[in-house]
Amino acid sequence: MDAGTGVYILSENRLVREALSRILKKRPDFWVLHGSDLSAEVRDEIVRTGVHVLLLDSMRLYFAVEEALKLLRAEAPAIRIVLIGMDDDEQAFLQIVRRGAIGYLLKEATAAEVVAGVRAVMNGEAVCPPRLCRVLFEHLAQEACQLPSGRTRTQLGLTRREQQLLPLIARGLTNKEIATRLNVSEQTIKNHLHRMLHKLGADNRLGVVDLCRDQGLIL
Amino acid sequence: MRPIRVLVANRPRLMREVVLEAISDQADIEMVGELQDESNLAEEVKRTQPDVLIVALDQQDRLPGACYAILEEEPRLRIIGIAPDRESTLFYWASLCIHANPIETSIEGVLNTIRSRAHQLAG
Repeated sequence: MDAGTGVYILSENRLVREALSRILKKRPDFWVLHGSDLSAEVRDEIVRTGVHVLLLDSMRLYFAVEEALKLLRAEAPAIRIVLIGMDDDEQAFLQIVRRGAIGYLLKEATAAEVVAGVRAVMNGEAVCPPRLCRVLFEHLAQEACQLPSGRTRTQLGLTRREQQLLPLIARGLTNKEIATRLNVSEQTIKNHLHRMLHKLGADNRLGVVDLCRDQGLIL
Repeated sequence: MRPIRVLVANRPRLMREVVLEAISDQADIEMVGELQDESNLAEEVKRTQPDVLIVALDQQDRLPGACYAILEEEPRLRIIGIAPDRESTLFYWASLCIHANPIETSIEGVLNTIRSRAHQLAG
């Protein structure tokens, strides 16, 4: 679709969809679509138009469309998922982070903060309130000692480089973005990914992420 | 005809901004106040004398408690209650007792409901 940032607002409340869409469209570099479900037609539209950011406004809705979200991420792995209107709830936040969302904005966030959040995830950042960021640090520190050993990783047959790719794939980065980050060619990343799919018996990159998450290789 | 006076007391903040956006730039609607919650609602209604009050509904689609007393004291007032996280919007008014009707949860639905108050005022 057009140049600029494409945002899809997924909300059961039509007023929220319409008004938030109007707020975002006031920024000339945003284009916006919205709807209340993630049906196959909607997913097609998101993929076809090249939406960059999916805004979702409730945990309940997130879990209701979770399977559809997996399909969408398989078709559009670079899509960034940001939850808005959230409760200040540590467990909910960690649950969402584990599932690969990279934004978590509270109910008390302003519309301007939602706009800033969209811009931040487009710049490769993740967004959440500072207090929850601390929760994430503490959680990671706690879990670090429980992570599986290098031996477990090796048992899956992944090389050191392939293990390096895991968190980046899990965060929804494209091959190109990973290549830039690791200072290698996009083709090299494609080759690594191809071998990982083969070793793990996964159908796609989302399958790799799910399998490694199950094995505790990534959080 | 004078503009319709609207007081917005929606929670949470993002929802309040959504409501304000929905009713902004309307020549026939005047925003007379914005409240972060319902703690000073009765005083603010007395002070600003709105025709329409917009508030958040709770999980059971009930108005904040203060609204029922306000409606009894100010029967000319109309209240729109919006559930932030689902498709539920109700329109309340008092006439002998307090009535409620569902309305369309959309910008157009809210604007039409506010304007229906203008017709009553003119009538």
